[in-house]
Amino acid sequence: MAKTDGGMKWALVAPVLLLLITFNVFPLLYNIVLSFTNAELVGSGSRTVGGANYGRVFADPQFAGALRRTALFVTCAVGAELLLGFSVALALQRAFRGKQAVVTALLVPMMLSPAVIGLFWNLILNGNYGIVNQTLGWLGLPQPQWTTDRDLKFWSILAIDIWMWTPFMMLISLAGLGAIPPSIYEAAEIDRAGRLRVFFKITLPMAAPVLALAVLFRATDALKQFDLVMAVTGPNDSSTQTVSTLIYQIVFRDGKVGLGAAFACVVLVVVVALATVFTRQLDRLRSSEGAP
Amino acid sequence: MKDPVLRISNLQKSYGGRRVLDGVQFDVSAGEFTVVLGPTGAGKTTLLRTIAGLETPDAGNIIMNGADALSLPPAARDVALVFQNFSLYPGKTVRANLEFPLRAPERGLGESDIKDRVAKAASMLHIERLLDRPARQLSGGEMQRVAIGRAIVRRPSLFLMDEPLTNLDAKLREELRVELRELARGLGAPVLWVTHDPSEALSMADRIIVLIAGRILQIGAPENVYFAPASPEVARQLGSPPINLISAVASGDLWRCADGTPICNIKHPAPASALLGIRPEHIAPTGGESPATVEVVENMGPTRVVVARFGSVVLHLLTSRDFSARPGDIIFPRVDGGKIIVWSA
Repeated sequence: MAKTDGGMKWALVAPVLLLLITFNVFPLLYNIVLSFTNAELVGSGSRTVGGANYGRVFADPQFAGALRRTALFVTCAVGAELLLGFSVALALQRAFRGKQAVVTALLVPMMLSPAVIGLFWNLILNGNYGIVNQTLGWLGLPQPQWTTDRDLKFWSILAIDIWMWTPFMMLISLAGLGAIPPSIYEAAEIDRAGRLRVFFKITLPMAAPVLALAVLFRATDALKQFDLVMAVTGPNDSSTQTVSTLIYQIVFRDGKVGLGAAFACVVLVVVVALATVFTRQLDRLRSSEGAP
Repeated sequence: MKDPVLRISNLQKSYGGRRVLDGVQFDVSAGEFTVVLGPTGAGKTTLLRTIAGLETPDAGNIIMNGADALSLPPAARDVALVFQNFSLYPGKTVRANLEFPLRAPERGLGESDIKDRVAKAASMLHIERLLDRPARQLSGGEMQRVAIGRAIVRRPSLFLMDEPLTNLDAKLREELRVELRELARGLGAPVLWVTHDPSEALSMADRIIVLIAGRILQIGAPENVYFAPASPEVARQLGSPPINLISAVASGDLWRCADGTPICNIKHPAPASALLGIRPEHIAPTGGESPATVEVVENMGPTRVVVARFGSVVLHLLTSRDFSARPGDIIFPRVDGGKIIVWSA
């Protein structure tokens, strides 16, 4: 009996397992193998080079820069999106006429493809004929080169990302705030808690677990930042290059698959380490606060 | 006479054209345990929320300790409200929940005062051992104890309790009923307790206010409301199994059902036709003159509820366990004429 059960179990799990192995486990392992070779995108005959690729990764100033820039991007983007999204959600908590329409309108940026958004903003921010600079010129104000000035373009991309993903934070915040039972606010009102006290002692702690989850989603996404950079400046710009675009540049433009694989492995280790720390924190938060 | 703690007059409240409170008017005196009894949707919760200041009435007055309460926000009304769903602050410990109302800056309580009040409340409610647990990990009964504790620590001049036992299981409900009644006696401040459960009202109240469809139908001591209900609606609210309501016609002292089946003899200076209210415990299964057919027998433990067809009406009888009958049996119910309630039709 137990034996047939076992067979059944495997038969049921097999399709998914096969898919996972083919598309997740094998590529990952093959990537590790590749990272020890000098494989190129075109041409055949690669050979093992030992840890040479990894040596180059850690010596590469471009990589250090991209890593720093990505970290800055994640911190600023997620921080701003959380702050703005949560604030807007707080403002939208009250019922008013046309609230549904406002929420829907606010969600639009999130619904569009990042590549399309990048291209659109490229036009909007274009130094010569973009609507932003046209307007600034008309008002007699200086017209910065948003997407080409080396001190500005990183922040322009950041701003686009914030524009695009604040609605996501707002949506999750709305859900988190909506899950707080109104009677708790009423209890607090009768208990003579002022608005600030209610916010810091009730609203914030009770919404925190959901917000933390939203931050996790956004952070993993922002770590992979690729589309906007590609659309606005291309992958090989020294002031906007992120880790993803750097690896793209190495593998698909320079054709150095082996080296790119080594980069990817290092990034993977960094990301897994960060994710582990974060999910531990999240678990702790969820067990200490009243999260569903 | 001393002023009442709470005086409510002519309270009106509508939601979108539907009247929820319609001329509600009563007093609550110091130390009194008042139960507002009514079916779901009677306006009980709205009444409490209005007193607490969470709702604004359309008209009427609420005077609390001699002052107009309607002009005050909830925080300034000095009432404590215990919610049906407990509404604890879930992420905080029991201690933090109890301390929360005391830490309001306006109270200006010192740490030792706060500690002292929390300790006292915790010991009254037997929740000392729960103090350091997060509220979310408590059972329903424990949560309600903490919720009541959160009200007690404040030492308000009035306790408002919105069906505090409804979300608990039956056994716990009966236990807490006794315990809370005792506790309330020690508190000094009056309690306004809302429930839809007649046994809760009968067992706990000094005074019952029967509220149906936003109107007060009767105010009185439990035995008064039970044995002398002002109207059939009130009678139906109290008692389980429900009171028998029979339209009857009198010829002399003999009262008959509409179809002529004789019910009993009562000397009553009433009109010739009336609605009779007969409590199930006031009908004996034997000794009567007219036959009835048993339809259902329900065993309730120490008692049985017998449902019998009596001419054109269906009677509920409450009998002792010793009386055994089966569906189909013929019995001769005898109504205790002295305990019948007569409402002229």
